[in-house]
Amino acid sequence: MNRYTRLAGIAVLLMLVAAAMIFLYAPEDYLQKEPQRIFYLHVSSAIAAFAAFAVVLVASAVYLRTESARADRLARSAALVGVVLTTVTLVMGMLYAKPIWGTFWTWDARLTSTLVLWVVYAGYLLLRRLAEPGRQSARFAAVVGIFGFVDVPVVYFSVTWWRTQHPGPVIVNDALPPQMLLTFLVALACTLFLGAVMIAIRYRIETLMDEAPSPASASVPVIAKHEPEPAR
Amino acid sequence: MIYLVTAYAFAVLILGGYLAWSLHRLDRLLNH
Repeated sequence: MNRYTRLAGIAVLLMLVAAAMIFLYAPEDYLQKEPQRIFYLHVSSAIAAFAAFAVVLVASAVYLRTESARADRLARSAALVGVVLTTVTLVMGMLYAKPIWGTFWTWDARLTSTLVLWVVYAGYLLLRRLAEPGRQSARFAAVVGIFGFVDVPVVYFSVTWWRTQHPGPVIVNDALPPQMLLTFLVALACTLFLGAVMIAIRYRIETLMDEAPSPASASVPVIAKHEPEPAR
Repeated sequence: MIYLVTAYAFAVLILGGYLAWSLHRLDRLLNH
């Protein structure tokens, strides 16, 4: 068992602890009843996604400044994990919205800006996959990674800047009773750890893939450069 | 109740599935 498998095992155990708190410790909400328990992982995965995109921002800025291959790999890894976490946020949010609002989706500022965030970083990943690997595409992707982060504060402040169906901040406004707050903080810490482990594993995969000879270069025979005939 | 179960089942599928796929991919790269 390697280091990464052990870290993944710890992350799974921590998520089980969070699940136990969500389903067994946290009290049922008086108004929203059972669906309110979706809140804990819905919000935690959103914050973990923001953290992953912050890593993309910093790593992309470092790459543009230093052209470090490690920074580029870290940006690629964090973007993928950020998209996975945003997918969880969006789908859990839709399943939370249906019993509370009566609809899976509404085009309010919070939901729309979160969908835009998903599209921006999914586009980033698509760019990395389709573009010819090299300095040019890495620099272009770094710019997308930096400018894409502009949407993160828009998502966060959307509920205060515009009138939305999505509720405003409940954590910073001290709106949760102590048991719910403790459950949320445990779920958040466990989800952040899981996100960090996912990025670490992906970073290792990216490193091994960068170091491995590409199949194209292995299969295509090297064509000798044409040498001009010597002058007679 | 159905939405709560579906939401967490989806989260387990995506997060657990991604983690398992990553470990499998890493294992293959390390052993080849």
